Amino acid sequence: MSTMTINGKLAPLPDDPDALLVDVVRDALDLTGTKLVCGAGVCGACTVLVNGEPAVSCLMPARSAANTNVTTVEGIGAARLHPVQKAFMAHDALQCGFCTPGFIVEAAAFHDSWRAAKGTAVPSREEIGAALSGHLCRCGAYDGIFRAVADACAGRFDGNDILPPRLEARDKVTGSAKYTVDIHHDGQLEGVILRSPFAHARISELDLTPARAMPGVNAAISLLGDDRIVRYVGEPIAAVAATDRKTALAAIAAIKLGSERLPSAIGLDEARRADAPVVFEKSARKKAGNVSEGGGAPASWKGNVRGPSAAFSKKPKKVRSWVDAARAANNPLLVEGIFRTGTQQHACLEPHAAVARFDGDRLTVHVSTQAVFHVMELIAKRYKLGRDKVRVIADHVGGGFGSKAALGVETTTAIELAREAKAPVRVAYDRHEELSVTGYRPATEMKIALLPSEQGELKALSLTAYADTGAATNSTIAALARLIYPAEGKELADFDVISNLPAGAPFRGPGGPPMAFALEQAIDEAALRMNVDPIALRKRWDPDPNRQRLYDWASGLEAWRNRKPIAAQSGRFRRGVGVATGYWLYLWQPGSKVEVAVKGGRIVASTATQDIGTGTRTVIANTVAREFGLEPHEIEVRIGDSKLPEGPGSGGSRVTASVIPPTLLAIEQLKTAIQQNAKRQPVPGSNAPWREMLAASPDLSASSVRPEDSRQMAPGIESPLRQVGFLGWIFGWMMRRFSNLAIGAGVPSSVQVLEVEVDTWLGHVRVVNVHTGIAVGKIAAPALAHSQAAGAVIQGIGYALYEAREVDSRTGDVLSGGMEDYRIPGIADMPLIDVHFDEGGFDHVLGGSVGIGEVATVPTSPAVANAILNATGVRLTELPIRPDRLVAALKGRAAA
Amino acid sequence: MTPSAMTATQAGEFRAAGTDLSERRRSGVSTGPLIDISAAPDTIGMHWDADGSLRIGAFTTIAAIAADARLAAAYPGIAASAQGLATPQIRHLATLGGNLAQRSRCWYYRNPHIACLKKGGSDCPARSGNHLYHVAFDLGPCVAPHPSTMAAALLAYEAKVTTDRRGSLRIGDLLGDGSNGSADNALQPGEMIKSVTLASPLQGERALYKRAISRTHAEWPLVEVCARAVIKDGAFQFVRLAAGGIAPVPLRLAAAEAALQGKRAHAAAIAVAAERATSGAKPLPMTGYKLDLLKGVVQDLLERLAG
Repeated sequence: MSTMTINGKLAPLPDDPDALLVDVVRDALDLTGTKLVCGAGVCGACTVLVNGEPAVSCLMPARSAANTNVTTVEGIGAARLHPVQKAFMAHDALQCGFCTPGFIVEAAAFHDSWRAAKGTAVPSREEIGAALSGHLCRCGAYDGIFRAVADACAGRFDGNDILPPRLEARDKVTGSAKYTVDIHHDGQLEGVILRSPFAHARISELDLTPARAMPGVNAAISLLGDDRIVRYVGEPIAAVAATDRKTALAAIAAIKLGSERLPSAIGLDEARRADAPVVFEKSARKKAGNVSEGGGAPASWKGNVRGPSAAFSKKPKKVRSWVDAARAANNPLLVEGIFRTGTQQHACLEPHAAVARFDGDRLTVHVSTQAVFHVMELIAKRYKLGRDKVRVIADHVGGGFGSKAALGVETTTAIELAREAKAPVRVAYDRHEELSVTGYRPATEMKIALLPSEQGELKALSLTAYADTGAATNSTIAALARLIYPAEGKELADFDVISNLPAGAPFRGPGGPPMAFALEQAIDEAALRMNVDPIALRKRWDPDPNRQRLYDWASGLEAWRNRKPIAAQSGRFRRGVGVATGYWLYLWQPGSKVEVAVKGGRIVASTATQDIGTGTRTVIANTVAREFGLEPHEIEVRIGDSKLPEGPGSGGSRVTASVIPPTLLAIEQLKTAIQQNAKRQPVPGSNAPWREMLAASPDLSASSVRPEDSRQMAPGIESPLRQVGFLGWIFGWMMRRFSNLAIGAGVPSSVQVLEVEVDTWLGHVRVVNVHTGIAVGKIAAPALAHSQAAGAVIQGIGYALYEAREVDSRTGDVLSGGMEDYRIPGIADMPLIDVHFDEGGFDHVLGGSVGIGEVATVPTSPAVANAILNATGVRLTELPIRPDRLVAALKGRAAA
Repeated sequence: MTPSAMTATQAGEFRAAGTDLSERRRSGVSTGPLIDISAAPDTIGMHWDADGSLRIGAFTTIAAIAADARLAAAYPGIAASAQGLATPQIRHLATLGGNLAQRSRCWYYRNPHIACLKKGGSDCPARSGNHLYHVAFDLGPCVAPHPSTMAAALLAYEAKVTTDRRGSLRIGDLLGDGSNGSADNALQPGEMIKSVTLASPLQGERALYKRAISRTHAEWPLVEVCARAVIKDGAFQFVRLAAGGIAPVPLRLAAAEAALQGKRAHAAAIAVAAERATSGAKPLPMTGYKLDLLKGVVQDLLERLAG
């Protein structure tokens, strides 16, 4: 038997020729800091040092590690933290943290060789970008990573330990943070799902006995619905739990299937044809998924097309006649166009995963989820268990972006397998599953018409959106155009086009980015035709007070003031500057409860919410620390456990606004209780009165539920639904009643000004500089908010330039199921970024803060397109703006 | 997804570092027996001959090729290609021989559920399906571009390959002409690459490498070109252009080379050569853009070589 030395200890290597180093490290040695993500050497999350050189352990046969010296993240800072680890902590160069161990290992190796050769010289962004080009971060923490690596190389973190702005950063840079995929119970089995190879079929026969008969297999279950119809490639059919993954895979391959193929329709164009096969018969419609954050209103179906959902229209018939008349009169101000956007995958680095364990009648499920409390409720309801018998845990979550907000198949499958096997079961999706069946932001085709009046006001807007939702419904794109740029009339219609593709899901500001891609380019075009500065036109047409302030900030930017006239350049490389606006709703979750307690002289704040990389722990810690005059690290924050007081889901940017107000109320109560119980008052003039009182306080606790907001609002601040009148009120009531989401007053807003460089020969676009102005009230955790803002921009750049799910339009197979074919941005694609927070606008919210996650990504793609127009004179109407599309557009050709 | 029950069609696949094979093992595209191979002194590292030629052992890692100063001085196009491919962590593991013998990156080939010519199927699903990243020179039944960046660079250098059965094989003969859709090269079953030999560099030659991709780093090339030239007295004395990402095998851009031979190293000749780079192209419905990129990359490299 061969061995390797790992983190200084001798470890055996298996004889299995197919064993990979990552499996030995994670499964046999339980060094779970090393993560398995892409399995193809693309993302670098599995990086370890082999004889001092970074290597992808997911592609390295375990055999070839024989007689080598392997160092994992656990070995990097074992004695004392490596300078790179301290620098990552200090610069908040991480969010969800799932990619962080890989980055740390590579950056530490780069740092050590750089320092050996160059002392404390500072590496350039290009050098850092090239060195870390084998790593991907889906949260987009690249801005902090650049700063961290540069400063570590410069020797600025050679000294003492530091206190990071992110509460749990130490666990993430050392690899000790445990995610769902890292959970391992004694006797735990591995669950694998058999998925449909057909786009549309009736499963006439499903024989699980051959699987059950295999040694090492402990459970096999059917996952078919009552109609036994599968509607997309990858729809679950059955699942198996076995002692290891290899056995489970062999078992699902042994399952006998009989099927009757049904005709299928793949994608927008095919599914809309009059003779297209119908995906959901009337009786089956409730099986369709939901691509929005809230429930939807009913809409009519015609074949595979559901809609129009047009309740947010205003004088739609008039709009149509005005637009027709303007077109007939060749009105040069009438802007019309068709815009298309691609299918964006969430591409969470931690896959959808769950580990279920029954102890008698009690069920504990670790889930990679955005909603521990809600998922607990759903599990209890689905399996008819008491809520006190179900516990959902998510200590750390490796990204969600909207795709982990519901009770997923990975979780129900783990539970059902664990029940049958009478043993703990883990289900963790592989990368192809993650990039095909876990949801996506639907592709769209949007038809827009925008008509200014003779007086230069916005007279009419028409937007019709068809969304490529697959086996799901409830896309809301056009409707969002109602809540910005008031006009005399708006004709807004949303259609879902259902087809034999996996179901879409909510994704960071569902509907917002595609809506903005069409609307913000139409506004830009109108400004061009009216010969008005595009920011000035927005300021004229968009009275929202938060955005008015952002427009003033944006128009003062040097990058904006110095931009060149449109298409003024003729060389190969052309630079352009573009602007776009975005907004999102301010949502909060009624019933959210926070407990703040003194326990042994320490403050403990608890709520059943979770941190998916957004910084929830820190937001709570900072809030409590500020009120007590303590340091955030002195506060213990307990989240990620459904046993705690009911907390909000991490969706709709709702967490900050849901947890800060009850935290503040609970603090008030707790302070009163501490004072009442105090045996003596603090020394007069003490600069740490609460510290003294807490040290002497008996254990006490107080909790509060999220209060309603104040009705005293700044001028112009109102619910965005006011613009929609009575229907808006109904919409708000329905959201609260059926989705437990309150839509508050005031509109989280973002204005981005960015500069691109276009390589007209190679169709390559580089975003050079970004200025992102964000109005979400007071910033509760500044370093983390900066990370969110920068990460939202780079994710928006991915949407604008690189990302698209690709399918085979005949079979419905997802082709971009690996991370080399689904292209998310890398560190070298990160522009220089300037984040501007306008902290006003939400004084009616206790604490003054609302969420940032979604609004910050909405304007990026249209800003990129507007900048490309400024550079080249060519308007790109289809996302992503890949080289093939750009070279075609520059030559006046249609892209394939 | 699940691995298929596909059976291997050969006795065993060679595995050196495994950076390509491990992914295919995990997905189930490769299920046959493995034959682990490892380096011997003459199959790894740089072996310089007295005449200035270089023999590179097939087990030499891409990182070692990328980092070798003497190699970079003599064969800058080889060094730049090695520096430009994959990611640092892959370059540390992957070998030259493995890079040359790796299998296609086609997304149909890599999907264990889809039959294709390279997996014993009867037709190429990409041809009539989604071939956005496929060939623009449709020279064979399979439309996947050849994945090896080093192969294109070695073609520009007219390298010779030694296998365990054949000596002094031209790199082009190792790669084949793309007419065999089931294979990625013309190695015989069980034949193993041992080393690659580069003739001593020409007096005054320069070389560059560039790939067109959508992001900044770490992406399979849409188009890549390795260009060598000797420019003497202001004229192109010698030009070699080899392109990858566009055809089932790396291609010499012979018409573009011919257009430059003896011509002044000025914009006019370069523009003509860039146009001729696409000579013989047969794009698929979705790959016409690659011809624009090919012209752009060729023009970029020639201008820089001439500049």
